[in-house]
Amino acid sequence: MFDKLRDWERNRHEYAKAWKEHTGGKVLGYFCTYVPEEILYAAGVLPVRILGSHEPQDVTEPHIFGMFCPFCRDCLAQGLRGRYDYLDGIMIAQSCLHIRQAYTSWEKHRPTEFSYYLCMPHHVQSPRALPYLTEDLAQFKTAVEEWTGATITDGDLDEAIEVYNENRRLLRAVYELRKAAEPPLTGEEAMEMVIAAQMTDKAEHNQELRRILRELPNRQNGRVTGARLMIIGSEDDDTKFMNMVESCGATFVVDEHCTGTRYFWNEVEPRANRLEAIAARYIDRVPCPTKDWVERKRIAHILELAEVWNVDGAVVMQQKFCDPHELDTPAIRKALEEKGVKTLFLEFDVTVPVGQFKVRVEAFLEMLGEEDLFE
Amino acid sequence: MITAGIDMGAKTIKVVVVRDGAMVGKAIMVAGFDSREAAEQAYAAALDDAGITKDEVEYVVATGAGRSHAPHSKRDISDVASGAQGVVTLYPAARTVIDVGAEEGRAIRCTAEGKVLDFALNEKCAAGAGAFTEAMSRALEVDIQALGPMSLNSENAIPMNAQCAVFAESEVVSLLHAKTPKEDIARAVHDAIASRIVSLARKVGFEPDVVLIGGVAHNVGFVDSLERALECKVIVPDDPEYIGAYGAALAAAAR
Amino acid sequence: MATKQTYETRPLECWGKAKEIRKKYYQDYAAAHERGGIRWAGGAWTFGAIPCGLGDDVHSLTSEPYAASIAADKKFSIKCLEATERAGYARDLCSYMRNYWGSVILDEYLWGGPFPKPDFIWQDHICCSHAKWYQVVCDHEPGIPHFCIDVAVGPAGEINENKLNYIVGQMHDGIEWLEEVSGREYDDEKLIEAVNNECRSTSLWAEVCELNKAIPAPLEEKTMFSLYVLGTLMKHSKVVADFYEELRDEVKDRVENQIAAVANERCRLMSDTQPPWGFLSLFRYLESYGAISVGSLYTFGLIGMWEDKPDGSWGPRTTPRQKGIEIKDRDQALKILAEWNLHKPEWQHFYSPHLKTEMMVRIAKEWSLDGVMLHYNRGCEGLSLGIAENRLGLLEAGFPVMTFEGNMGDEREFDLARTKTRIDTFLETLGFKKD
Repeated sequence: MFDKLRDWERNRHEYAKAWKEHTGGKVLGYFCTYVPEEILYAAGVLPVRILGSHEPQDVTEPHIFGMFCPFCRDCLAQGLRGRYDYLDGIMIAQSCLHIRQAYTSWEKHRPTEFSYYLCMPHHVQSPRALPYLTEDLAQFKTAVEEWTGATITDGDLDEAIEVYNENRRLLRAVYELRKAAEPPLTGEEAMEMVIAAQMTDKAEHNQELRRILRELPNRQNGRVTGARLMIIGSEDDDTKFMNMVESCGATFVVDEHCTGTRYFWNEVEPRANRLEAIAARYIDRVPCPTKDWVERKRIAHILELAEVWNVDGAVVMQQKFCDPHELDTPAIRKALEEKGVKTLFLEFDVTVPVGQFKVRVEAFLEMLGEEDLFE
Repeated sequence: MITAGIDMGAKTIKVVVVRDGAMVGKAIMVAGFDSREAAEQAYAAALDDAGITKDEVEYVVATGAGRSHAPHSKRDISDVASGAQGVVTLYPAARTVIDVGAEEGRAIRCTAEGKVLDFALNEKCAAGAGAFTEAMSRALEVDIQALGPMSLNSENAIPMNAQCAVFAESEVVSLLHAKTPKEDIARAVHDAIASRIVSLARKVGFEPDVVLIGGVAHNVGFVDSLERALECKVIVPDDPEYIGAYGAALAAAAR
Repeated sequence: MATKQTYETRPLECWGKAKEIRKKYYQDYAAAHERGGIRWAGGAWTFGAIPCGLGDDVHSLTSEPYAASIAADKKFSIKCLEATERAGYARDLCSYMRNYWGSVILDEYLWGGPFPKPDFIWQDHICCSHAKWYQVVCDHEPGIPHFCIDVAVGPAGEINENKLNYIVGQMHDGIEWLEEVSGREYDDEKLIEAVNNECRSTSLWAEVCELNKAIPAPLEEKTMFSLYVLGTLMKHSKVVADFYEELRDEVKDRVENQIAAVANERCRLMSDTQPPWGFLSLFRYLESYGAISVGSLYTFGLIGMWEDKPDGSWGPRTTPRQKGIEIKDRDQALKILAEWNLHKPEWQHFYSPHLKTEMMVRIAKEWSLDGVMLHYNRGCEGLSLGIAENRLGLLEAGFPVMTFEGNMGDEREFDLARTKTRIDTFLETLGFKKD
């Protein structure tokens, strides 16, 4: 049922190249989910998220100091190895320090015809952020227009917003089904679905999601659900890890990742000023830890997901050396444990040592199982 | 003119005697607890090997991690300088020297005269050095000498991360539990170290010819992985572990 | 190689005064409550001039210099780091932060007694750890009010009205917040005075650094660390501005009389990022080769404010007063303060390492350097950001570079012997020999 999405996710470069060939449009690679894709899409550009390939590599040492996360190095390696040579542009919206290095090195050593650093505000809890970002988006829109030669009208923005909002609604509809006692899809499939959304034309992705949603409620996947898990943390597109855990007698029923719910949870609410509407969406979305201050608003959201999706335990993971997540992890684990949700903390690298992690996951699942015995 | 070079390595001490630019005697000793005493023995053995008496040696230069403790030496130079000097004397076309010893891996870019243009060393972590292969051969329960030839039989590349030697070791254990063939694991180990070393080489911007020195150069599996990662041929001298001492002896002659 | 030359050298006369100011700063903070005063905490980069509007009895504890002081006390530092680790925080986080948290968690002040808790937190944010640092402090000391201003609006070359308004707007909100948490009325006159002091002190520090272009250099970096630190404590204070003026005069005098920091100077280097604070002897080790670190973008530009001079050189930034601008009201003061700080050299690389490379190459040229030693500092993601690209850029510009890994505040991640060997190798390859 998820074959097409999986195919897009696994063959992302082929998809983008074919799209380019077919539409004659421009493809832009972006490094962070704070990039307001709607504006690019309105100009006929295909935004695709740049992710790593999970292979050991030796090309980034001259560019990024090894204390930064494996993810940013893996992303840059893709650029240096020429795997994204079809890109017409790259951009980043300001978030953590790690990933911006992939952008700044890429920009210098693999220049594209368009590159843009959007100064996405960090103080999203300040009322000053909205007027600031709205104006900054106007500047960005002009830059995109100059690059593509297109004029982006309110009508174009409305259409793009609708395609994106529909995608968000459809993804949430699939996630709704995961609340069931026997979820009709695995966490691995859900992850592939969301990642595919980040690298395909949303109109096409929507079409596929609509089809899946028609069939999914009646799907018998022949699995035993086992422990209901949630996965929380930094960027994570490690489908192998998901697969390993779900083969140990557990199912991921929800996530809190920027390759998952953080990406699509909120819609753009209509406003007369379209750019203000888009700005508000990115300011009010579930925050990345880099922007979750002075209050930690993300925790309440995580607890709500855990409750509503009836989670037994949570895997709290992060990319090795990810400072922003390390700064929230103790508080998140404490909040979850206080609500009776047990947590397992794991640090991810480019390649995940499946064997070692399996031992820990099995022990964790055993612990969750014991809880049930005494209930 | 007769000179000698003493390389006070972390694990072994190498001494080379040079007459008019040519290596005429050599000896190696395990450093052990008393590295100075071991150096004395190696020195005597190298002179013996060359058939030369102590008095005939005009000048001695030391190199290596423990170079300040070397006996007989009148001066010392860094491993980087001695390695580069030794290599360009043997291979005038060499522009990049990769030196992998017990505790440290280095990449050096140099001129035809042996002048060092840039160098990079691995940091505290042993993931890019000989000690790493030893730890892995223990985990595999394979003799260290057999590790290299064994990995040549592998046809499967298993991605393994060598950011951390401790982590890598438990990864090897997991692979063993998963019944992964030992030759594939051996290759994964060599690929992982080669990846660390090639990172250093890319940092200095390597150019051919590339010469590999240091004890780990004897490991054919590592050489194979290194060539694959560098995408070029690597020259290995006959006595790769003696090149530092040789370079020091040459520096003694050129003083 | 040039023949060995020996310059006259002598200690700085104002050295004792610098130590006094620093000592008094930490005492004043701890004792503020005894006199009915206010204590606040925030980073070295925060807009410290703004809380000055609450009165003259308002004292701060800036986090990074406090943590660096802890780091220099290896025994206490390990105690703090371990306390933080026990509380569940990752070892690869900012080591300043981990030292600081340890002091809070243990409830021990470096200079004795319990940790003097701040009445409020007044922070700014450009590095991911800035706001989060105090979020964690509040996890352990619930109830401390926390305000933080986002200043990450892009490099100096791209400042516009919108970006300034975002920062100034947050500052205005911050002043209302300060009045609320302190229960005091805000005095704009005091703010204006503090803004003028800040511009004066940070420009004067740049002038001191500029004097180090002289050969022989009148100051070496180890000494500069102890002097620039005053600007990280209270750049907005008259005491610091006046001290920097006195220092400038003395350093000028040294230049005129060829008084060197290092008698055998023959190799000029710069470093980068915070040094490993427990191992400043490293800088003395350079002297055995006649090598001297004449500064770094870090010591020059962490608080020093610079600009392009008409002759194309890099020099101290002209203050609003020097331009004949008299600040009239709160809004103008805040705008000037925001714009002044957005030109901070050490804020530029947050957007692109290449901007930092340009400044470093410029220093290498104008300060007549023979080479560069970059501290790949595992303790600070903010200042190590893009450092590998800086290395490439400096090499491309023709300056030899050596790198060494370490940690400014966690001695477990620094290897002195190995670093010395690396310095030997580097200076040897540059053709310098030990005396």
